[in-house]
Amino acid sequence: MAEDLTSVDFFRDGRLTDDPYPFYQALRDKCPVSREDHYGVTMVTGWQEAVHVYNDADTFSSCISVTGPFPGFPVPIEGDDITELIEQHRDDIPFSDQLPTLDPPTHTNHRALLMRLITPKRLKENEDAMWQLADDILDTFLAPGEGEFIKGFAGPFTLRVIADLLGVPEEDRPELLERLARGTHGSAVGNADKTMNKTPLEYLYEVFATYVEDRRREPRDDVLSGLATATFPDGSMPEVGDVVRVATNVFSAGQETTVRLLGTALKVIGDRPDIQRRLRDDRSLLPNFIEECLRIESPVKGDFRLSRVPTTVGEEALAAGCTVMVVNGAANRDPRRFDDPDAFDPERKNARQHLAFGRGIHSCPGAPLARAETRVGLERLLDRTTGIRISESHHGPAGDRRYQYIPTYILRGLTELHLEFDLAGGDS
Amino acid sequence: MKVTVDEDRCRGHGMCLTLCPEVFRMTDDGYTIADPEEVPDGLEEAAKDAIADCPEQAISEID
Repeated sequence: MAEDLTSVDFFRDGRLTDDPYPFYQALRDKCPVSREDHYGVTMVTGWQEAVHVYNDADTFSSCISVTGPFPGFPVPIEGDDITELIEQHRDDIPFSDQLPTLDPPTHTNHRALLMRLITPKRLKENEDAMWQLADDILDTFLAPGEGEFIKGFAGPFTLRVIADLLGVPEEDRPELLERLARGTHGSAVGNADKTMNKTPLEYLYEVFATYVEDRRREPRDDVLSGLATATFPDGSMPEVGDVVRVATNVFSAGQETTVRLLGTALKVIGDRPDIQRRLRDDRSLLPNFIEECLRIESPVKGDFRLSRVPTTVGEEALAAGCTVMVVNGAANRDPRRFDDPDAFDPERKNARQHLAFGRGIHSCPGAPLARAETRVGLERLLDRTTGIRISESHHGPAGDRRYQYIPTYILRGLTELHLEFDLAGGDS
Repeated sequence: MKVTVDEDRCRGHGMCLTLCPEVFRMTDDGYTIADPEEVPDGLEEAAKDAIADCPEQAISEID
């Protein structure tokens, strides 16, 4: 008898790293809201059910959003309303000072602070800078006619974009980028067997604390001064630590994820010459192509919530204190929402209904940034090449490819992507 | 004060639903619309917060 896929340990079993989608489907077929066997996590794999949970921040606390069942809630959970219990213990949960784990009203204030840092004006200036940032890296990356895309382009490009967005001074960028490039790949988040560090980006904290303190003492005409003097919605001045946490959050949340999106996009372009040709012929297809990449491979597999009170999701009753994983990557392939969900269709009409960025008050504030980065990166790659292929010596021939994915239960994406290029006139 | 949601820009983050539920609501497709477009008295600040905090800059004030 075939193994019942739903009994596999999603959080620790390496067999699900390469292809978690049959597992998601099996769970969804059983029930779009179902408890997995190993840690008692309620897995939400249906689109409508996922939207429901994300939009109900009154019932579902985000205090465990980043770590889920590891280490889990610090004390045994009892009672029909654990609102008070959460407030008493939330500071003992990893990442408790980070935006994704905050609940209203604290979340509302800190999120507003973030929106004051990445203003429409700043995003526009940042997008204008992306073209040059991409070209600077491509000059070196494309020259040999082949290369590893994740470390050769996606990583350095996204880091430089965020450094630019936050206004890191030019002279400081090389050291900052070098230290982050060394430290951020394969982070401990989402790996059940690695120790949880409460602040994995301590170096960034130090650097940004110095920037903020400097600019508060002596404001200049620069982006960091705007960041240093931004206020909460009620006009009060945040502590230096509050600003620093929000700024470093942009790095920690916005870098790895966008790298994975870029990886998926290039994998599709390399694996599907037909799609590559259509994109080359008609660049106006790029935005929907990017949405379909986000749908088919959500860079964040999912996000956790803790139910405060008894509630119902779909047709399932949940008790207070349920650890819920909203599985974005599963909801995005729910056949009740997306026809033929496992097929990649760059012109899929409702691709943008995917939940790769979540929904509700915690939905990814960097979504427009991620899309802009991906679009600019793809535009320049298509401009500067006439053909992009998957390297057969690394990944095997078409029809029998081998790819490796990040082994965590949080992130989904390639660890390496080896490509070959035919360079366009100016580059050859 | 009147507001509108640009349906091409909206990606259904739903921030506005939380900040100003009296004006914004979610459609079955998972996007938000302003319904009513006319912001009731006393909710102007909440509507402005929704405009400022929309990740897609999809909400705007109309005359």
